[in-house]
Amino acid sequence: MRGFGIVLALLTLAAATSAQAHVASNGFLSLQVEGARVDGALELAVPDAEIAVGLDADHDGKVTWGEVRAAQGALVSYLRQHLQLSQAQGRCQLQFGALQINQRVDGNYLWQPFTGVCPAALHELTINYSLLDQEDPSHRGLLTLSAQGVAQTAVLGGGRRVQSFDLRHPSVWYAFVEYLQAGIWHIWSGIDHLLFLLSLLLPAVLARRNHRWQAVQQAAPALLNIVKVVTAFTLAHSITLSLAAFDIIRLPSRLTESVIAASIVVAALNNVFPLVTEARWRIAFAFGLLHGFGFAAVLSEMGLPQGARLVSLLAFNLGVEAGQLAVVLAVMPVAYLLRSTRFYQGALMPWGSTGIAGLALVWLIQRASG
Amino acid sequence: MPQPMAYGASRPRIRGRLACAALLAMAAGMAAAAASPYVPANDDKVLARLPAGATHTSAPIRQQADARLDVALPLAQFYISQARATGDLRFLGYAEAVLSRWRSQAPPNPAVLVLQATILQSRHAFEAALGELDEALRARPDDAQAWLTRATVLRVLGRYPEAGGACAQFARWADAGVSVICEQGIKGLSSDLEAAYATLAALSTQGMLDAERAWRGSELGEMAVRLGRDTDAEHWFRDALARSPNDFYVRAALADLLLSQRRSGEVLALLQGQESIEPLLLRLAIAQKQQGNRGLARSAELLQTAFATEAERGEPVHRREQARFLLEVQNRPQEALSVALANWAVQREPDDALVLVNAARAAGAPQRAEPALEFARTHGLRDVRITATTGAHS
Repeated sequence: MRGFGIVLALLTLAAATSAQAHVASNGFLSLQVEGARVDGALELAVPDAEIAVGLDADHDGKVTWGEVRAAQGALVSYLRQHLQLSQAQGRCQLQFGALQINQRVDGNYLWQPFTGVCPAALHELTINYSLLDQEDPSHRGLLTLSAQGVAQTAVLGGGRRVQSFDLRHPSVWYAFVEYLQAGIWHIWSGIDHLLFLLSLLLPAVLARRNHRWQAVQQAAPALLNIVKVVTAFTLAHSITLSLAAFDIIRLPSRLTESVIAASIVVAALNNVFPLVTEARWRIAFAFGLLHGFGFAAVLSEMGLPQGARLVSLLAFNLGVEAGQLAVVLAVMPVAYLLRSTRFYQGALMPWGSTGIAGLALVWLIQRASG
Repeated sequence: MPQPMAYGASRPRIRGRLACAALLAMAAGMAAAAASPYVPANDDKVLARLPAGATHTSAPIRQQADARLDVALPLAQFYISQARATGDLRFLGYAEAVLSRWRSQAPPNPAVLVLQATILQSRHAFEAALGELDEALRARPDDAQAWLTRATVLRVLGRYPEAGGACAQFARWADAGVSVICEQGIKGLSSDLEAAYATLAALSTQGMLDAERAWRGSELGEMAVRLGRDTDAEHWFRDALARSPNDFYVRAALADLLLSQRRSGEVLALLQGQESIEPLLLRLAIAQKQQGNRGLARSAELLQTAFATEAERGEPVHRREQARFLLEVQNRPQEALSVALANWAVQREPDDALVLVNAARAAGAPQRAEPALEFARTHGLRDVRITATTGAHS
């Protein structure tokens, strides 16, 4: 008896210090709702189907496609017992199609398509998912449910065998609001993006003539300057934010953060020692590309919700733009009114910009040295 | 195994090309991420190989286990050991299913509770595991197994005084040799590390089972690592592994030691054929990265999928591995830091402190590792890997 105990203890020890793993047992259920009809597919890992209904007819420890085909009848009747769709008006009738195989990174899955015909047009859907509840209580069904172009996700099974989904109030709206707020918050708390933009906008109400700053005479050119810079910055960071959010391009965050600091130094010094005076929008665009990666780092910490990735990305970006626009609208009218003053031209432009450049230089050194 | 085609495997990787090309690629990548089921060309195609015990033919014995506890207990134990040997988490579910009827009995048998605790702790549900063990010990205060499991869970949680107390209880009912391993293992996490190491190294292994000797070896190896005695550590880990070749925990520790010495070629050999066990797959990916090995893309994809699926299930049990993956494979220190902090909130082993310290430093925010450093100071925890990184002395 003691040997029994001690051996188990060792198992325990190792299991606790670093849990064994591959992925746990997951089924993937995807449903598309259209009127009273549901188009769906259930993916079940081969080992899960084996333990539930038995596929390996010749008991050689290998499951072949032929064995799977022979077992499809048993699989379908198992699914009829353990997966039901319904609405208030009654059960949906499920019809199962031809079985296929889907290869996922953790192995082969049986891919079972089906259609459900429900009594009435679906405004809510109740799913009863009890697959493997007898064999493996840790099995879960990962649901993607699409209705009217909106996707929601949920985890089925375990303690939550029966779940209902409201198809009229898409959860995507909540994702939208959440990511919009996150975007606004980030641009306000992320002072480096604002300092960069302000450095480029400070001279927008001025014009460079004979190596001197002069106030613009009319509002129109100032407005045009502002619109060009803000548009270029927005366009540029939207591009890279999207690329990074979808994992197409990734930059190390230390590099991104360092270059963002460097961009502020460049933009601010350009006000003190002007090199680019007319086409500051080009600076805004070029460095805006890198600021986009900075936004993406925030977004990747939050993660994009499955099924609402595009909407969330759009909402985050809109939030960033809204926050940015609010600052521009608050600052630039004041700048316009003050543009002729000695304070603006003689103090704020050179010394304000120098101060910003100095601060950004400190960040640059901190970030580059890690 | 054939190469995978689904789930974003063919997603194009583009760096620094024109934006419009990248946008096109984005559309293609999203399309590739969708499922692409197919009909195999012939009936002989093998879709899966089943590990022993994972077949429908076990249904009768599983039914028997519902009626007979003397069938249920060894069967659940077999499943737990299979989970460990194969890395397949499904076996923990099978064990849980076998126990479920007995667990809902009032009052449950203490042995059932202890096995259930083992399953729960494997899923990092530590508080729930302690609950099961408390109940078991109320019914049977002399259950050595329950005390040892309790000591283990408390140790992972960083509750060392309580863990030491559980070891002392264990010693009252268990063999003297293994009791010493339990006690010195905890003592080695305090300022008494040197003494604990000496005591354990001097412990006679006469009459010990292979598994017990392997346990001693792995404790000694870990202590040697924390003392900075890498040569000794390698000796202990290799000794432990020779006695218990299926022990992926020791294998991972040895791999980490070799990686720290940049002996990544040896790591590739050490971990060959062990990809299905997530912690080992992580070490493999790090070694592949050090080597510039082409297998890295595949390993990284497997790990990413595993982490993503865990998150989707709401059970992020491999946060320590995920933090290391983000830090050491993907060079994303900011994200690594937030995962390492979340991990530290759940489990507090020296390796958990180490990944937090490393991530915080790489993210340019060393002060964020303060909770781990504070913990180390409080307990007198000595670890040259952490001291070398922070320059701190404990």
